[in-house]
Amino acid sequence: MEDLLEQSALVQWRIDGELHELEVVPGASLLDVLREQVGKTGTHMGCRTGHCGACTVMIDGAVAKSCIAMAATLPRATITTIEGLTAADGTMHPIQQAFWDAAGLQCGFCAPGILLSTAELLQTNPAPNDAEIDAALAGTLCRCTGYQSIRRAVGEACVRMYPDAAGE
Amino acid sequence: MADSPDGDLKYVGRSIRTKEGRAPLIGKAKYTSDYAFAGQLHACIVRSPHAAARINRVDLSAATRVAGVRLAMHGADVAALTDPIPDYLEPALFGGKAAAHRCLAIDEVWCYGQPVAVVVAEDMRTARYAAARVQVDYTPLEAVVDAEAALAVGARTIVPGWDDNLLMHVPFMHGDTVAAFESADQVVSTEVKIHRFSTQPMETRCYNAVWEHNTESITLYGTSQNPHPLRLVLAQTLRMPENKIRIIASTIGGAFGLKMHGHPEEGLICLLAKLTGQPVKWLESREECLLIGAREQKHYIEMAVNNDGTVLGLRDRFYANTGAPSACPGWGMAFLTGLTMPGPYKVRDIDVQMHAVSTNKPSWNAARGYGKESTAIALELAMDNVARQLGVSPVTVRLKNFIGKDEFPYDSPTGLLYDSGDYAGAVEKTLQAIDYDDCLEEQASARESGRYIGIGVAFELTPEGGAIPGSMVVGYDTSSVRVGPDGTVRLLTGVTSPGTGNATGIAQIVADELGVDIDAIEVLQGDTNASPYGFGNYSGRSTIVGGGSAALAAQDVRLMIDKVAAALLEVERSSLVLQRGVYTSTADSSASVTFAEVCYAAYTRAYDVALCIDPPLEATRTFRPPSIRHTPDANGNINPYPSYSNAAYATVCEVDVQTGQVKLLKFAVTHDCGKVINPILVEGQACGAIGFGIGGALTEDVRYDASGRQLTRSFMDYVMPRMSDMPPIAVEHHDMPNPGNYLGLKGAGEAGVGGSAAAVVNAVNNALQPLGVVMNELPLTAPRVWAAIQQASVAPTPGGDQ
Repeated sequence: MEDLLEQSALVQWRIDGELHELEVVPGASLLDVLREQVGKTGTHMGCRTGHCGACTVMIDGAVAKSCIAMAATLPRATITTIEGLTAADGTMHPIQQAFWDAAGLQCGFCAPGILLSTAELLQTNPAPNDAEIDAALAGTLCRCTGYQSIRRAVGEACVRMYPDAAGE
Repeated sequence: MADSPDGDLKYVGRSIRTKEGRAPLIGKAKYTSDYAFAGQLHACIVRSPHAAARINRVDLSAATRVAGVRLAMHGADVAALTDPIPDYLEPALFGGKAAAHRCLAIDEVWCYGQPVAVVVAEDMRTARYAAARVQVDYTPLEAVVDAEAALAVGARTIVPGWDDNLLMHVPFMHGDTVAAFESADQVVSTEVKIHRFSTQPMETRCYNAVWEHNTESITLYGTSQNPHPLRLVLAQTLRMPENKIRIIASTIGGAFGLKMHGHPEEGLICLLAKLTGQPVKWLESREECLLIGAREQKHYIEMAVNNDGTVLGLRDRFYANTGAPSACPGWGMAFLTGLTMPGPYKVRDIDVQMHAVSTNKPSWNAARGYGKESTAIALELAMDNVARQLGVSPVTVRLKNFIGKDEFPYDSPTGLLYDSGDYAGAVEKTLQAIDYDDCLEEQASARESGRYIGIGVAFELTPEGGAIPGSMVVGYDTSSVRVGPDGTVRLLTGVTSPGTGNATGIAQIVADELGVDIDAIEVLQGDTNASPYGFGNYSGRSTIVGGGSAALAAQDVRLMIDKVAAALLEVERSSLVLQRGVYTSTADSSASVTFAEVCYAAYTRAYDVALCIDPPLEATRTFRPPSIRHTPDANGNINPYPSYSNAAYATVCEVDVQTGQVKLLKFAVTHDCGKVINPILVEGQACGAIGFGIGGALTEDVRYDASGRQLTRSFMDYVMPRMSDMPPIAVEHHDMPNPGNYLGLKGAGEAGVGGSAAAVVNAVNNALQPLGVVMNELPLTAPRVWAAIQQASVAPTPGGDQ
């Protein structure tokens, strides 16, 4: 245990707007640190091999699989989890609201990957076509919906975020 | 009591957004693995690397020396403190063999991945590290991997004391097949191989057991579809009274049958909590989750047909490789495959021989479709083969043999009683939805330009809401409706939600019956200390019996509230109108009182206006679908299902003959689930199940080497559909209400797997017909399709079956 402490790394992360200084042990994944040390249980473990996307977060604005990101390799980073999409007063992000209203998800376990990938896509693309949506969300597996309701909800989110772009 | 004049106020039939609401979308839903308690310990399980082996010795000493380890146990340790795990569904009920299921293996392992030892430590890393220090001395035995080889003379019996590996043989026979086959114009033979594919919910299993020192009882937070029946199983396994166990099945991240119980870890983790006096958590890895199998069957089908396409008789001999014996109900899928024959077809002379075989592959658990998907795959591939052999359209062959919509209720040759349906109508709607005639033209012109486009059609009959006499698979369920003094509603139901949204559907029903706003209803499921005794989620039953029982309870409570309202307003009950939370009377225009005021009076004025009722405003009712029949008929048959949902599928694919890659271009389904409570939720169920079928038909496959070691260990190897793999799905409803059930419900959720898989396979075969390729062995992965094309181009056998 002494050895582990000597090797542990100090990281500074801004997680969902809040600054955290943490000591992380070598080999710990970002997923484990977020869930166990920071209490961000909205980020889920689905496979630990980077295939399913239930653990998705944004690192410095880009989506990443937290289960295969080694915590110690990120000395300073801004991290957004699914919990950070919601405003401080509890108001849902338009994407979250669109997914609720359009019944985009069922069990909700894959929500981190689906919602954050949608957010990343819509940041730069106000009117994505089906192929662009498929490509942006390719990193997340959903087992409940067959993806049809997710496509519909992403379309609904576009309309809410960019009302002027609708119809293009 | 006048009905609300405003029909728009009804919730049933509308796409209401889900009661699960914000929590899963803002990352605040609490799945089982999100619970952590003071003093939390973590368990890691040591599993067998061999498919079959004798355990000579388990040495825990190196593991127990690791700092932070609190407990390490092997099979004999655990067996001294527990009894065998009772079967969810006993094979003996159907004339099958019995085996003792233990939390940890003793003396012998029966499959790769079987739990052999367990380590509990203060954190997960330490538990994993220490588990790797457990030394197990094995003598490997010859592994029995293939189902038919397992039945061969001289095959090693995998369970000591058994005389062979046949878990169960059931004949499903009716009529005179010999005469049918003699009188037919020809016999069409089809071999269908259905592979092992799995449900793989995104949330793996997790159990977190807490020893309650004050009551000397156990609280298990667990991913369970059936908390009450699991409680009984744990009581027997742990040698504890049932009333000392509480199960809380929190938010579930998908289940699809995989979280039905019988798993060795359920009792094991509870025991560890009891022994350490601290909370113990086990979270299944994806590799562990992939061990749980389903569906693998080989069918040898013969259909006696006339040249016009009429099927006169069906023979099917099939072998299900159910893996090592387990307490989970997976093996029952093989039984259902036989029982559901011959599906939607009016074939009276049948001889179906079901063989459920035990092997050294890991065990099955229930998987969406529960064997009925395999009936559909086998039958629908065989029907296409009939169409090919006779040179008639696959649509014609089906329409010629369907049970007619005026022939219900229909006595099936295996003794089932189909309630209602319009199979031909569903197929016609599906063909319209996919523009079938246009597709045929497109196919013809594509062929001229060297492109291979195929159209596949299939049908699926999915009995829902099953009940097996003498087991905890029951047909009924129970709900409580409680209205508080402020007029808000608690709805407690014995059915659970695996994340399907059934809480929303049931709340819609209750909101209509009570006449309240749906937002005033809180639904509680999955806590054995709160919900009425119930059987949870399986077999598309949740809305049928959860919704049906909640409706009855709501009607009772509504009557009580109406009585108090009439007393308060001093009017006849028949003159009351309840609209938007306010009672008025057609007899007295000045009379008005809010729903909440009436509820308050019901609690607080028990000696005057509320003398007419017995407070509190609560009722508990059971709905028992009337068409289930467990008394055997003259032929000894029972009808274990109350309703028979069904669906027709069509898909269009393009096959790249250079690579063997299959791309789905279009997909349509017409679904009959009876009355639709919430269209958006039913569509979600249908599309999700179709995702399973498409994945199963094309890419999902759990593979083993010759010695029975599992090769498929991650989502790198187990390839499930991603968004780009799924075509847009046109969903049509064709509702033929079930006359026996509340609102005519038939159930949704299971239909979709088998019919869609069969449609995809039929489409690929249709695309490759010019090349003489016919593949009836799933899955149709690109390498397999490519190899079949190469083989056919070497030795063309047009129209032939492999």
